[in-house]
Amino acid sequence: MNTFLTEKNRAVRRSVRAFCEREIVPIAGEIDREARFPWEIIEMMGKLGYFGIQVPKNLGGAGMDAMSYVITIEEISRACGSLGLCVTVHNSVAVYPILAFGTEEQKERWIPQLARGEKIGAFGLTEPNAGSDAAGIEATAIRDNDHYVVNANKAFVTNGGIADICLIFARTDPNAGRRGISVIAAERGAQGFIVGDLEDLCGMRSNPVSSIRLYDCKVPAENLIGKEGMGLQIGLAALDIGRVGIAAQAVGIAQAALEDSAGYANQRQQFGVSIGRHQSIQAMLADMATQVEAARLMVYRAAILRDQGKSFSQASAMAKLHASEMSSTVTDMAVQIHGGYGYSKAYAVERYYRDARVTRIYEGTSEIHRMIIAKGILDEYK
Amino acid sequence: MELHIIVCIKSVATKAPGTGIVRSADTADLNPFDRPALEMAISMVEEQGGTVTVLTMGPPSCAFILHEAMAMGANRGILLSDARLADSDTLATSTALAAAIERLGPFDLVLFGTRTYDSDTGQVGPQTAVLIDAPLVTSVISCEFKGNLLHVKRKIDGFKEEYELSLPAALTIHPSAVKPRDIPLGGIEEAFDTKEISVLTLDDLKINPGIVGSAGSPTRVISMTRVTRERKCEFLTGTTGEQAEELVGRIKKSGLIG
Repeated sequence: MNTFLTEKNRAVRRSVRAFCEREIVPIAGEIDREARFPWEIIEMMGKLGYFGIQVPKNLGGAGMDAMSYVITIEEISRACGSLGLCVTVHNSVAVYPILAFGTEEQKERWIPQLARGEKIGAFGLTEPNAGSDAAGIEATAIRDNDHYVVNANKAFVTNGGIADICLIFARTDPNAGRRGISVIAAERGAQGFIVGDLEDLCGMRSNPVSSIRLYDCKVPAENLIGKEGMGLQIGLAALDIGRVGIAAQAVGIAQAALEDSAGYANQRQQFGVSIGRHQSIQAMLADMATQVEAARLMVYRAAILRDQGKSFSQASAMAKLHASEMSSTVTDMAVQIHGGYGYSKAYAVERYYRDARVTRIYEGTSEIHRMIIAKGILDEYK
Repeated sequence: MELHIIVCIKSVATKAPGTGIVRSADTADLNPFDRPALEMAISMVEEQGGTVTVLTMGPPSCAFILHEAMAMGANRGILLSDARLADSDTLATSTALAAAIERLGPFDLVLFGTRTYDSDTGQVGPQTAVLIDAPLVTSVISCEFKGNLLHVKRKIDGFKEEYELSLPAALTIHPSAVKPRDIPLGGIEEAFDTKEISVLTLDDLKINPGIVGSAGSPTRVISMTRVTRERKCEFLTGTTGEQAEELVGRIKKSGLIG
């Protein structure tokens, strides 16, 4: 237990964990196998404020701090990585940009329903030919009187299959390079807003990740978030927060793997004793527990810096890099401790293993994070 | 009619003690049997208006359950805390709670869970009701106002009973009465930021320390040891039918089925 958590933080953990253990844990394996998005859980989570964790109360949110946000994501992900993904992406890269850069009218129009989970948000940056190189996007949004005509092909959109509002990164000025990119909130149902087939992914299978394509889609000009040309600035600010969420998700998945492994090591008998009595298994458990705790502290540090209003970009990038790499390692060890059963769908660790893998890829790959962190270090000691 | 409902709650140990029980958020929890009582109080006040006061007795480390109850929707929390209350048995606990309830009154209802998860005596609710001289119905599964009277149903083995009570009254709430609500994040924020916990001591209650704590407890726990469970695995032999017959015979013999 982290002794520096406040009583409020602990109350958040207890309440979210109690909900997740009762409602999500029993179905997590089933929704993964069926690749089903559990609307019944989404509705309950909406009522509990999980979709507007840091949204001010006057806009229908829970009005909590970043620490409560990461604890919530960690606990949901401990039960189900896919739902942790849905909630973190919605809160960080869909809701936050509207809150931080949107007009009062935009906030009143979209935020209350998003905060209650009645509408789900998504973030459309990645394209078939642009991901890590965000400035390379090809989508366009050309102003035509009171609207934009948007043409975009967005790939691997988390929540894409069910999202009501998708923040589309598109070029409003094709000749302005990085400064020609803007963010436009496109709403599902608009003519030309096409939801592609769901991606058949290795993990995170109960999240409806899909492509979203806009063909000559007319989006009202008042749906522009911030100003024209601010796209990358908005995207990077959102990703700073998003990365802490993904890091918290990676910690939650690894925590589940650690707990399952310790339980299994106590129960599984080989050579007449529980395998937890064998030194090689103990070494793995010790490394797992230490790595999970180290990553958790990095995530909490990034959240605390944000709550204190300090720069947290570097801390966020480091937490995301370390937690995602850690989660892959720890879930891999969990499979190893479970032996053949760990490779079977009869146990949850194979799901953790698959789910953890993508945390090293989305919202910035480990390679991109190393570039960001290295740049920060080099700049600091110039 | 605006109601004032006092709900008595307890922090229960979730980890088996080694040398002694130290209740904190890491080793204790809000007694699960108190949650339906809280739910019933909060929903009655949501319907009728009024105030839900949650009262617990224990060291300051127990305050977290008051926050939890306030996050569910209770309006204010009262921590009855005094070193001289240590080692109170159920009678001494009821004595202290009764004094606190008198102090917090006037009230319309005092609610309790039927029992606690850790000590399981089921005595505190009924004893406290006697001490505050309130009519009591135990194991209540529903209650409804009919004019100024409270119509309650209770559940006992094989029967349902109905009562009419005048207020103020005390009830213990059956675990199956209502499903306690989940705690919303916004409720937690509100509980910590806008709701208050007041601490009451024996001096505030003006009661003689000799009637509470170990001095006021006619019973005391003389030892506490961990229960060790011995499990063994046995393979039944014979045909599937014979195995089933043997299994059913053994379950019957153990009294688990009639």
